[in-house]
Amino acid sequence: MLEARNLVSMYGKAQALWDVSLTIDEAEIVALIGSNGAGKTTLLNTISGLHHPASGTVEYLGQGIESLDPYVIVEAGISHVPEGGRVFPDMSVRENLEMGAYPKRAWKAREQTLQQVYGIFPRLKEREKQLARTLSGGERQMLAMGRGLMSRPRLCLLDEPSYGLAPIMVTEIFRIIERLRTQEITVLLIEQNVRHTLEIADRVYVMENGRICMEGECDELLQSDFVRQAYLGL
Amino acid sequence: MVTFLDIVIAGLLLGGLYALIAMGLSLQYGVARVLNISHGEFIMIGALTTWTLFQMGVSPLVSLVICGLLTFGLGFIIYRTIFRRLLKSSPSIAAFEGSSMLASFGLMFIIQNIVLIIWGPEIRGYSYLAIPVDLAGALFGANRIVTLGFAIGIGLAFYVFLSHTRMGKAIRAAAQDQATAGLMGVNINHVLALCFGFGAALAGIAGVLISMSYPVHAFMGFEYTIIAIIVVVLGGMGSIPGSFIGGFLLGLIGSIVTYFEPGLALAAYYAIFVILLWVRPTGIMGK
Repeated sequence: MLEARNLVSMYGKAQALWDVSLTIDEAEIVALIGSNGAGKTTLLNTISGLHHPASGTVEYLGQGIESLDPYVIVEAGISHVPEGGRVFPDMSVRENLEMGAYPKRAWKAREQTLQQVYGIFPRLKEREKQLARTLSGGERQMLAMGRGLMSRPRLCLLDEPSYGLAPIMVTEIFRIIERLRTQEITVLLIEQNVRHTLEIADRVYVMENGRICMEGECDELLQSDFVRQAYLGL
Repeated sequence: MVTFLDIVIAGLLLGGLYALIAMGLSLQYGVARVLNISHGEFIMIGALTTWTLFQMGVSPLVSLVICGLLTFGLGFIIYRTIFRRLLKSSPSIAAFEGSSMLASFGLMFIIQNIVLIIWGPEIRGYSYLAIPVDLAGALFGANRIVTLGFAIGIGLAFYVFLSHTRMGKAIRAAAQDQATAGLMGVNINHVLALCFGFGAALAGIAGVLISMSYPVHAFMGFEYTIIAIIVVVLGGMGSIPGSFIGGFLLGLIGSIVTYFEPGLALAAYYAIFVILLWVRPTGIMGK
């Protein structure tokens, strides 16, 4: 479904990605783990068009998208839920969700999609009219994810959806991510919570210093001493 | 005998104009991040164009449409050519805010001088609907009341546009978080150019309304730019409703001060501006 090849990404003179390649197949949950500053967010930003690579290609459903702007990439079916959620603070919950349905095709179906999203996140329906700035951290994260689903994506990029949340919320968020598979939504997930992630993901990429240093099925990685020591503390 | 009511009505008449002008600047600064020093020049273009059209027999009400479209087009093109290029070459939004403000300063001189070539420096005016109307016992020119009606009407229409339409929501989203609005599918470059155009159109329309009641000339713009900046700060940076309410508030203050000492209105505005920056820099509707 998505294939990134030999991506090199620069922030000014600082290189953030070194020859990064990654593939995602339809209906997979692929996880991206690694320490802070490893380049995970940059890789997501490069896929969604927020950041254009210095070299390398990103192919989505057979088309090169590495030089396209974010708004074109959303229309093509890739939804990016950014780090920290980034909800629109001065818009109501409902308006935030409507913004998620901004692409023309999604806009027409927005009422229907809205009900589906309310079905997944009943809490958002309760808070429908509240300004997003008044929500708790967990509610904001739910809103960001719900908003990301409003464009009816085929591929969802999630940047640390459980960051800073209470344990009970973390479990809830992971349960919802797992449910996306049943709705035929493919997921690329950045997570710090490695234990939870390895339970739901099909495959994992490990990034260090802007490079992919390891990849494989979750079971394989669970056997690896490196992953056990560095990320699971075993 | 001037009553309290006279002062209030006069303040509202003035405030309607201020509200329109400030909403325009609020769009340009709050969304497109351009503190547009040449804002008043679009008011002046609207006013002088209306004067010329009036000489040719065109009603100022028709000019509202003509000048609205003209200044919208001008603003849109100026954003697409000058400011978009600056945005691309700026390393950060903060850097862009600085460079775009300087560019708009230059733009002010360019527009003023082109206008001087076309219209010359003379002060001009025309008489339109200068019929006294009795409003709660006080007499006001019909043109002033038409001005207030249009200012409120256009202001409310704009508010509805921003709060209820798809494009309006995109504009508000872009004002709050440009990059994330892009992730939602908003073509940011297009929206920013539209906002700059809308801002210029509101200025142009205000210029048409101003020309119905006040004399117009090539150097009238800057004073309005200053007033717009004060109202935008008063209402809260980037808050469109804040600018609308702030406009009326400043109009009322101006009207009260003018009652005691006409020469002190502008000084009072500056005083409010300074006090506000001390006491509540986020403005009345700011967070």
